[in-house]
Amino acid sequence: MFDRTLTGRRALLKSVAGFAAAATLPLIARTALAQDPGASAFIQKLGDRAIKTFSDKGTKAAAKEKFRALLVEGFDIPYIGRWVLGRYWNVANDAQRQEYMALFERMIVDAYAGRFAEYSGETFKITGARPEGDADSTVTTQIVRPSGPPINVDWRVRKAGATYKIIDVAVEGVSMGVTQRSEFASVIQTNGGQFDGLLKVLRAKVAG
Amino acid sequence: MTGASFLRILKGAASAAVVALSLTACSLPGSGPGEREAWLEANDPFEPLNRAIFGINEAADFLVIGPAAYAYNAIVPDPVRESVRSFTANLLSPITIVNQLLQGDFDGAIHATGRFLTNTVLGAGGIADVATAAGIPDQKEDFGQTLAVWGFNEGPYVVLPFLGPSSMRDATGYAVDTLADPVRMWAANTDHEGAYMAKGIAGGIDRRSRVLKEVEDLRRNSVDYYATLRSLYRQQRKADIEEKAAVAQPDFPAFEKTPEAPAKKK
Repeated sequence: MFDRTLTGRRALLKSVAGFAAAATLPLIARTALAQDPGASAFIQKLGDRAIKTFSDKGTKAAAKEKFRALLVEGFDIPYIGRWVLGRYWNVANDAQRQEYMALFERMIVDAYAGRFAEYSGETFKITGARPEGDADSTVTTQIVRPSGPPINVDWRVRKAGATYKIIDVAVEGVSMGVTQRSEFASVIQTNGGQFDGLLKVLRAKVAG
Repeated sequence: MTGASFLRILKGAASAAVVALSLTACSLPGSGPGEREAWLEANDPFEPLNRAIFGINEAADFLVIGPAAYAYNAIVPDPVRESVRSFTANLLSPITIVNQLLQGDFDGAIHATGRFLTNTVLGAGGIADVATAAGIPDQKEDFGQTLAVWGFNEGPYVVLPFLGPSSMRDATGYAVDTLADPVRMWAANTDHEGAYMAKGIAGGIDRRSRVLKEVEDLRRNSVDYYATLRSLYRQQRKADIEEKAAVAQPDFPAFEKTPEAPAKKK
């Protein structure tokens, strides 16, 4: 709103990019078809195992431990943890980074274990996959619920050697990584740019 | 909730906002390294005021809106809630149609008009959403989205009393949509303001009742709920505007070395 000229230029760029995209679309479609199906297979396997874990109504602690193992195996938590810090990674020293990583992992596991404890018969189906840069793929899925419309969930998967790991999840176009990154930035900002402010908040979070 | 108590809350919120505004109008970037970039990225120069209004909204949600939504969910049977949802959504159709036209999306306008006629005629004035059942899904468009299509940036983030997260652009859009809403005009011209307000409140309670679990989850799992909602709102709007066609992917660089897991020290 304040930079009209910029907006105009961006709109122009966008339309140029649109033409370029249209021209390369058949190419992309071919690449997608020819793409290594490993990423989709990885998501399918992980999803099946996750559903199996939640359907097993064992003790809560045992389920959480199983889920933790699944999460650590399927997600590149160290990568995500660093990515969501953005520029603040460089502000932190080694000791702070190590404490942060430990807290981040605990927080993520707690949050997702709590979410999946409410699992009630949802299923998922893979609807597609597209390559994302050199090493990544986005696997698109739909979570089908017993009631209500299905939810679109996109998994960004990175291949390293022979293993696949999830590095971001987007629910209906909303990226968990982006959300977490702005949240952490805000916490650090409200603490006067001090990294310790974030650690303090995270310590309280995992303790509570 | 009676109209009078609603107005009283509204007045309270307005005066609290004025106090907050006079205390601290704007946030300014700090002087530390990268703080200016962070400030620009947040795009929230009215953050102190926004946080104050956010606090009031949260209090209202805690005291009135949340409990009402839980009660609504628990007491009113599913089919009735579906009807309320369809009816209030159908009344928004004219706004969607006009905005589709303003965006030059004639197919979208035809689609929305078809929905509106189908539900109004065959769905008994909109209480049954027969169009969705027939494979014509609802797709809302508002003037904020139209402004975006016209090339306006979202502008700074704002939190509106009771309406919650918005932006300069989307708040402007909301005001225009409200003024141009044929239902509101009809209500104003025929002395049915009460019915219009009731529709608004019912719609709000219904919307809130659909995200009971999600809100609980976010509150429980956030370390800065305000910042989380700010980010969610922006991403959601962006996805709606770009209609998932070409949502820009964030950049995921390869870090030179993946940080060591904290357990195993180097």
